[in-house]
Order: sequence, then structure tokens, then C-alpha cells
Amino acid sequence: MNRRKEIFQIIKQNPGITFRQLVREVGTGIGDVQHHLHILEEEGLVVSRRLGKRRYIFPSSFERDWEKIMIALSTKTRRKILLNLSNGPKTQSELAREVGVTQPTISYHLKFLLKLGVVEEKREGRGTVYTLSLDPEMIKRILSEYEDGIIGRLSEGLIELLNALVMNDDE
Amino acid sequence: MMNEVLVVGSILLSSLLAFVSFVAYRRSRMRATLYLSFAFLLWACKKFVELGHTALWIRRDVGNIVDALELLILLLILAALWKR
Repeated sequence: MNRRKEIFQIIKQNPGITFRQLVREVGTGIGDVQHHLHILEEEGLVVSRRLGKRRYIFPSSFERDWEKIMIALSTKTRRKILLNLSNGPKTQSELAREVGVTQPTISYHLKFLLKLGVVEEKREGRGTVYTLSLDPEMIKRILSEYEDGIIGRLSEGLIELLNALVMNDDE
Repeated sequence: MMNEVLVVGSILLSSLLAFVSFVAYRRSRMRATLYLSFAFLLWACKKFVELGHTALWIRRDVGNIVDALELLILLLILAALWKR
């Protein structure tokens, strides 16, 4: 029972943790963690969701944010933007430089992420800075483990292609 | 024989593309990807019908079915471009 409480605490403190990271944190056998995790899921205290090749574990209160997170991480450019923003607020030109794309591309993706509610904009001096509205540590945690299979890569290619069509339309 | 191999290849590839488009929809919730997924699925159905042209029960209607499926596929691609 104490072990289960400990696992739940770790998940609460590290939303978006993978099973592998959880086993490492708990420092016990895989079977033991699997058993407690299964009970925690059955009790509705935690949820696990697959993205790419990994399964991420969250406290159940995070479930409503999952859809937003999944959409926000659906392309490589957006993942790079979010990873950059997880290190602190950035302007559009800083993001364009660090991500390695043009400013119109950054502007297009930021507009999308703002609409999705995962990024916030704030006027600072003469410019506008962008910050994450989600937990930056959670984003870093998810992205550090993110890996896609062949189907995932192909589907990402299709999303990027359709995004490029929309971007050309906007310009 | 060669024709059958090519048609089976086409069915497999269009089924794969339908699945890829559906995964893209689940990840991005872009409606265009869903339309494309249906279009690829219908393409696979069309090739399947064409493959069955020798079967007696379908031989008479094959032309109409294929034409209807082609029309639907084109409409779905149009919808994907419109709703992108």
C-alpha cells in the first residue's frame, strides 16, 4: 500500500513520466510497478496515454490537457518551439533563430498554439514574448522520451504537408 | 497474373495510406486528414472491386461501382483541400 502511495506521489510530481522512468524512480522491480500502476489506473487515479513509441503516465486530473498536448506535439516544428519555450519566454525572432525556420513559419505555428491554449503571449516593452501555459518540466519530460515509429513519421509528414499548404495560403 | 499482383500492391499501399492518414487525424484533429483517410480506403475498395471483375455476381455492375467510387474519392480529396 505504501509502495502504491509512493508511485502515485511520483506520478503527481512528474506528470508525463514514462513507465521506464517510473521504474527507475521507484527503484523496484518492473512487475511490482506494473501491478500498482494497474490498480491506480483501475481506481481512476492515474491515466496512461500512448504518443509515438512511448506511453506517458499522468494523474487523472491531467486527462483534459492530453488532447491539447497531443495536438501541440504533432509536428517536429511545434515540438522544437515548445522545447524552446520550456526553457523560458521567447520572442518570435528568437524562436525563429533557435528553431531554424523563417519568422512567418514561427508566426503560423504560434498562432495555432495560442488558439490551442498551450502558449500565452505577453507584451513586454516594444515586443511580444511567448511563454508556455503548460508545465514546462512536463513538456521537457515528454519530449526527452519522444520517439516515433514509421507510421508516426509518415503521419507527421502528412500533417506537415497540409500545414505547409495552409501557410502558403496565409502568406 | 501481373495485373493481379499490381492490383494487390495498390490495395496494400492504399490501405497503409488510409491508416497513416487516420493516425494523422488522431494526432492533429485536422479534418482534411480524415477525408484523405476515407479517400484512400475507398481507393482500396475500388481496387478490390476491380480485382473481382471476373466474379459472376459482380461482373455486370463493376463499371458502375468503380465509377461511383472514383467520384467519391475525388469528392473527398476536394473536401480535404477545402477543409484543410
